[in-house]
Amino acid sequence: MSDFILEVKDLHKTFTLQDGRELNVLNGISTGIRKGEKIAVIGPSGSGKSTFLRCLNRMEEPTSGVITFKDEEITSPACNINLVRRHMGMVFQHFYLFPHLTVRQNLTLAPVDLKLMTQEEADAKAKELLARVGLADKIEEWPDRLSGGQKQRVAIARAMAMNPDMLLFDEPTSALDPEMIGEVLDVMKELADSGMTMYLVTHEMGFAHKIADRVLFIDKGVISEEGTPDEVFDHPKQPRTIEFLSKVLRR
Amino acid sequence: MITRNKRSGAGRGDILLGIVGVYLVYLLYASGFFTAAAWQDFNRRFYQNFIKDDRYMMLVDGLKSTVFMTSGATVIGVIVGLILSVIRVAYKGGVHIPVLNKFAETYITVLRGTPAMVQLLIWNFTIFASARDLNTQYIAILAFGLNSGAYVAEIFRGGIESIDPGQMEAARSLGLTYGSSMRHVILPQALRNVVPMLFNEFIALLKETSIAGYIGIDDLTRAGQNIQALTLEHSQPLVMVAIIYLIIVLFLTHLVRKLEEWLSRGRR
Repeated sequence: MSDFILEVKDLHKTFTLQDGRELNVLNGISTGIRKGEKIAVIGPSGSGKSTFLRCLNRMEEPTSGVITFKDEEITSPACNINLVRRHMGMVFQHFYLFPHLTVRQNLTLAPVDLKLMTQEEADAKAKELLARVGLADKIEEWPDRLSGGQKQRVAIARAMAMNPDMLLFDEPTSALDPEMIGEVLDVMKELADSGMTMYLVTHEMGFAHKIADRVLFIDKGVISEEGTPDEVFDHPKQPRTIEFLSKVLRR
Repeated sequence: MITRNKRSGAGRGDILLGIVGVYLVYLLYASGFFTAAAWQDFNRRFYQNFIKDDRYMMLVDGLKSTVFMTSGATVIGVIVGLILSVIRVAYKGGVHIPVLNKFAETYITVLRGTPAMVQLLIWNFTIFASARDLNTQYIAILAFGLNSGAYVAEIFRGGIESIDPGQMEAARSLGLTYGSSMRHVILPQALRNVVPMLFNEFIALLKETSIAGYIGIDDLTRAGQNIQALTLEHSQPLVMVAIIYLIIVLFLTHLVRKLEEWLSRGRR
């Protein structure tokens, strides 16, 4: 077998639109990620990169294809996806903190409800994680009182509270004001340095260049170019990649 | 969202209310109401209707019955409404139990599509026709509660559907089950959003119980009619009944406003 912690084989996703037409978003993606690896997923909007990420924890149901996580086939009907998701955290573009719970409760809800920790253990873990993302003083705060950057740092801490083996980042800085992007990227950099396995869908090319071990360029639902950041960003081979990067980097 | 087409409070019509009030007082004045003789007559009739033989106690007992039925029906309404709405939302959200969903849909259609009065009569004279030992008030509570449940279900459904789908995704991404996510993340937020509408539903319910007299329950309205029957007095008992309803409704409306203010505190 391969040394991938997560492996994707021939992943297809087709959405059926309201008027009955079919939209092929993913057209056969095969790839994988090793333990501790950081993979940046880039590509034009509508290319399917977010859908690809959302298929990995079956937020979207793949139309066909096989995904294996820690030697378990998670696309099989027999797989309990809830158990898999405990080990695969997700960070969303719009944070989705639970507004009726305090920051601490946001972090402890899942581990306590799933009986993985007692409330005391989860509280201690929450304290430790919030200190790690620089928000120790916000532990009893309400999400509505936080800035966008703070919310996203709490969302990252919430994902980490489950002790995941891997994190999926779905454009984590795209909804942030420019001056708040840095603080979130700093937290993600620290996570990356600590050895976390990460998939990162992003438009932050500079950041992707800095932390990624590999970069996937997705276009029209397939991986059209793949390689180290140096290869993809500095010496792209595909015309589509060159065109995309020239548009994005010119800004 | 569909809610009961009834209004519960004065709202911005307060000025209009004032004008109508002044006009009514003028009418009373013009008809000689404020003459000494008329005043004496009013007092005599008031004594007949409410004081003599402690007849006001009929109204007090009627009010107790009205409040009892409304409270009981409210509890049933919330429970039934919550269950129905979760069935329907879960069906849309991918938890497919077609039998339950069909049941919930039919239930809501039938109970909202027929008059509450007809439902009350059917419960009492058809379904529980042979259960003569049963306190009729319990039948009324059941009828009003199940009827209200259909409306509450739609209120809850609207509330649940107003929550960003991302909330459910975030909860599920942590490994929580659909049920847990619903219970700990979606419902608490939905509930907070629908509390004012729920309250209005129960104010409507309070007024709706005035038809309970049709199955022989001496509720507040029926108590007024009972006094009428004793004193052959055509206006005072029913006007008094109306005033009592109005005072309760205005008080509850006031509570809803306070509740709304309290709920929106601390949110940006």
